[in-house]
Amino acid sequence: MKFKAILAASLILGAAAVDAFDLGGLVKAITKEPSVAPDSSSQQTKQPGLLGLLGGTPVEEEVAIGREIAGRLLGAAPLVDNQQLQHYINLVGGWVAKQSGRSDLIWHFGVIESDDINAFAAPGGYILVTKGLYKKLHNEAELAGVLAHEIGHIIKQHHLKILKQGQLIDMGGGILKSKVGGGDKGQAIGKMIGSGAEILARGLDKSAEYEADRIGVVLAARAGYDAYALPSVLQEIGHVSAGDSSVALLFKTHPHPEKRLVELGGAMDEYVEEFENGKIVADRFYRL
Amino acid sequence: MKLSEWLICMVLLAVVTPLYAEPGYIIRSSVLMDEPYRDATPLAELEEGASVEILKRKGGWLQIESEGKSGWVRMSKIRKGKAPTQAAAGSEAGGVLDLASGRAGTGNVVSATGVRGLDEEQLKEAKFDAGQVKKLESFTVSEKKAVHFAQAGKLAARELDFIPAAAE
Ligand SMILES: [Zn+2]
Repeated sequence: MKFKAILAASLILGAAAVDAFDLGGLVKAITKEPSVAPDSSSQQTKQPGLLGLLGGTPVEEEVAIGREIAGRLLGAAPLVDNQQLQHYINLVGGWVAKQSGRSDLIWHFGVIESDDINAFAAPGGYILVTKGLYKKLHNEAELAGVLAHEIGHIIKQHHLKILKQGQLIDMGGGILKSKVGGGDKGQAIGKMIGSGAEILARGLDKSAEYEADRIGVVLAARAGYDAYALPSVLQEIGHVSAGDSSVALLFKTHPHPEKRLVELGGAMDEYVEEFENGKIVADRFYRL
Repeated sequence: MKLSEWLICMVLLAVVTPLYAEPGYIIRSSVLMDEPYRDATPLAELEEGASVEILKRKGGWLQIESEGKSGWVRMSKIRKGKAPTQAAAGSEAGGVLDLASGRAGTGNVVSATGVRGLDEEQLKEAKFDAGQVKKLESFTVSEKKAVHFAQAGKLAARELDFIPAAAE
């Protein structure tokens, strides 16, 4: 148990170090190629798959894992039965995701039946927003900001990294080894994800959330939207009492919106001019 | 509409319109500027915890009024709402957050489950729904459609770097 904890901690630290390095070098690198995301697809195809246990390319594995998680979440909270709404969120999300540089992924967006205030990202391009959160939004730029935060999690592979770490730990216990021989891909994925969609109830590292916020405002701004729309949403959500059950899971998995605002505000202050003149797009916003 | 009704309307409008201003307070001491630009002229120092009236927003700047002075402050230095008590305002992370998270001793955290909440337990027990995933995937739009949608909304793609974490 203790060994596992140490192994997990060192893996997390390792991942964090890589992220910090990425972002540091990125600022200069991106100047020439602005649409390349931190984890570009070309980098990824060079890496082996998730330990090569599931078969398929890394991207195929990423999508298969995310599809399973998204399908389970949908099992708990189905899509809102409103085609216009679902079409609209895919248009906004598709345009923002295009700015991420992960054109190797097919992006899927949906609004799910839940009064909770939350949004979820599963690996490989699956993003689901609750009806409760959607109803809090005032314009298209705010929706774009929320989706861009989730896109940030996916291009940085935040959840995938956690699953990878879990799998490495399980390997030590020999849990997965036996499954591989049988080639039961579905079972291997199932084992990796754990029970249901609990991976989405597990919080990420705080720094991963702040990073997703920073990526979120940039992606929204690249798409032409007002970069300050995401901070506005955070401000709004920050007003919901922490005792309110609708934010229980969100506040458990994310730093408090006030803390996120402090972090994000500090990071954005240097770039006030760059973020000017974004659009709100309120007129065609699909209201629920 | 009768004259008396008109009068009531006018009175209501008079009350509502000027109240575009929203209360807020300074969370980190900052400088009040005459214009919403980095190199604008500084007008005054604003102290942590000071109450302000927020008039409007332009990009990352908020136009405010405080103690008879008006100008622009960076959005990140201000929170909407009433200033917490003096003591709490001192440490933004401690004070405001404790209030917000119920740790400040409201003593009575409501945990009634929403009609359609999504708690940890539900997520743990969630079962894969193939039909729903297929439905979700059917809504995906082509890149061409997304670009067309952006053009219709007069959204132009811009080149921007990712931003690093703020230096402490
Ligand atoms: Zn997040």
